[in-house]
Amino acid sequence: MPIYFDYNAGAPLRPEARAALELFLEREAGNPASVHRAGQRARRMLERAREAMAELIGAAPATVVFTSGGTEANNLAILGSARARPERRRVVSSAIEHSSILAPLAWLEASGYEVIRLAPDREGRVVPEAVAASLDDKTCLLSLGLANSEVGTLQEAGALASLARCTGASFHLDAVQAVGRVGVDVAALGCDLLTISGHKLGAPAGTGALYVRAGTPISPTMLGGPQEGAMRAGTPNLCGAVALGAVAEALSRGWREESERVERLTSRLLEGLRARIFGLRLNGPEAGRVPGTLNLTFPLVAGESLLIALDLAGVEVSMGSACAAGAVEPSHVLLAMGLSPAAAQSSLRLSLGWQTTAEEVDRAVATIARLWRQVSRVEGTAAQEAEP
Amino acid sequence: MSARVVVAMSGGVDSSVAAALLCEQGYDVIGLAMRLAPESAEPAARRGGCCSYEDFEDARRVAEKLDFPFYVVDMRRRFERAVVDDFVSEYLAGRTPNPCARCNQRVKFDALWRRAEALGARYIATGHYARIERDPGGFARLLRARDAAKDQSYFLFSLGQAELSRTLFPVGTMTKDEVRRRARQLGLVNADKPESQEVCFVAGRGGYPAFVERWANGRGLRPGPVLDSQGRTLARHSGIHRFTIGQRHGLGVSAGAPLYVREIRSESAEVVVAERAALKSRGLLAREVSLVRPELGTGGQIDAEVKVRYRHPALPARVIVEQQGHAVVWFERPGPAVSPGQVCVFYRGEELVGGGFIERPLN
Repeated sequence: MPIYFDYNAGAPLRPEARAALELFLEREAGNPASVHRAGQRARRMLERAREAMAELIGAAPATVVFTSGGTEANNLAILGSARARPERRRVVSSAIEHSSILAPLAWLEASGYEVIRLAPDREGRVVPEAVAASLDDKTCLLSLGLANSEVGTLQEAGALASLARCTGASFHLDAVQAVGRVGVDVAALGCDLLTISGHKLGAPAGTGALYVRAGTPISPTMLGGPQEGAMRAGTPNLCGAVALGAVAEALSRGWREESERVERLTSRLLEGLRARIFGLRLNGPEAGRVPGTLNLTFPLVAGESLLIALDLAGVEVSMGSACAAGAVEPSHVLLAMGLSPAAAQSSLRLSLGWQTTAEEVDRAVATIARLWRQVSRVEGTAAQEAEP
Repeated sequence: MSARVVVAMSGGVDSSVAAALLCEQGYDVIGLAMRLAPESAEPAARRGGCCSYEDFEDARRVAEKLDFPFYVVDMRRRFERAVVDDFVSEYLAGRTPNPCARCNQRVKFDALWRRAEALGARYIATGHYARIERDPGGFARLLRARDAAKDQSYFLFSLGQAELSRTLFPVGTMTKDEVRRRARQLGLVNADKPESQEVCFVAGRGGYPAFVERWANGRGLRPGPVLDSQGRTLARHSGIHRFTIGQRHGLGVSAGAPLYVREIRSESAEVVVAERAALKSRGLLAREVSLVRPELGTGGQIDAEVKVRYRHPALPARVIVEQQGHAVVWFERPGPAVSPGQVCVFYRGEELVGGGFIERPLN
């Protein structure tokens, strides 16, 4: 069995989700919008899932809008907020966000909006003073990732929320990498909008949600029927929502214990690698990171080579983002944090999760150290040679 | 454990069958496709050309079918610096580069080999049509392909003993028809895929000159006169990069007998044209000379058959190996039109004994 260290890309399906899916497929489900009893049964299933999701983030059920995933939720949060208050022409975000935030921002910019992408500090933290300086009464939205997907840095949401509130801007948090790993309570975070992705939690891909605090100015971007409180038209993915609800329910009970376990394993992995790889560098802060995420710069190797060597040896990790062809490109997050292109090219992300075991971590430490030596023996010397 | 071999896969039929043969022979096969074409090169045209998404998917399908791991690796920076920049600066200097030979020398059998070695590979394999014969002492000889019409040894002249010792050309003993037949038997999706174009990164309108102009962004273009053998100006041209030795068209000159480019003078940006007979050179000077057989060292002389263009016949000549990677070649009979920048390769019968890049013709 390969060792899967790519939870930030997508977690393996949890048994709770599998059981919910199997149960759902055995039953006959109608359309939750129908009046007949099959429809009513479907509606109850959908609403139970919504209640479970709401409980996980400390929200009221009516504030949870099911979407097709994190990308749709981010698009809805950003484009929907802009559309609801067209007189506010500024959006504030950061340079280290996920593409599903950066791309809608670029679209707004092309449509005449002023988009501010704040540079983070060297550890990936968005500086509250910089946010304060960027927000004004023409700002419709402050949109930030709560936990960065590539380095795991957590943002100081509470401080940022009050800054946004002062100017009347809505505050959107992309919590895709934070939910289930740290306490995510929408009241404590002070956010108006919050993005959740199902498959990062161990539910199927194609599921997700956007929390929309009551009274938040936002317009739907998917137009049609009145589903999801008229915030997201289209018959909901009932099957997916049921599985997501089952995962949310399990996490409400067990996230803290699981997260502490994952954090211990993450520390064990980092310590093991540091003891064996001289010059290994952790990107992001030592503390103030989401449990489970390590972004490491490996000296004297191309990250791409080490990634492939590891895959061949059954350790699955990731690097930057994949292009359409499947080749990897250096992470824009690391570059924005001030890493050189060469250092970014030498960096890999290892992300652990609910199924990771101590035995896997120990085996991975040995394999990674061995293959780093193998690759650096070849590429360490090549790196010294001048390119033609 | 069986030896690991990295197969450089283009998505074409040759490298796919090469991978299939190695799987059958029990090697631990890993497929790598190189992302080469610079992002800024031909965005629209690239979709159909080499390095396109479809090519990578073809390679991926073959790997899935034959059940070996496959990855796309990013070699754009290396390719751009080692091949594309060289291609453009050679044209701008009035020379005629050979990007395939450069790519083999600096990318496939160098940078890609290092990737392979980093992955624990013992060999690198490609779909080239050429053969490597190893004697029991480990000494390797580079031979023409069995399929004379497909022979690609010309582009591989830069491989020395070190490179040959770690290289496999599985389809070199097959004809193209046999390769296609084999691919059909194996049910490979690309069995009948057409041949790739000659220069993979040059696509789009206007051919090489337009590519060079775009890449150079207007800098370094050298317009000048078109002269006859007596030095009389016949026309003006818009840049020496638009010409190659032996070129007949696009000279902007009309004369009784057909005229050909005989010489491109880089310093003065003069293009000299002449009648066909005047193009013949008695010999040439080569640089970056590589010799497959070490006994042909500095100061050595060999009689060989020399090819100065891929599609030209090999002509009898004497090769004198000089210092610092130079060689002088004298043709037995005043020979072909010689283009600086192109590759000259020395054969003895089936065997490729060495080659280099042409510095200039000798008369």
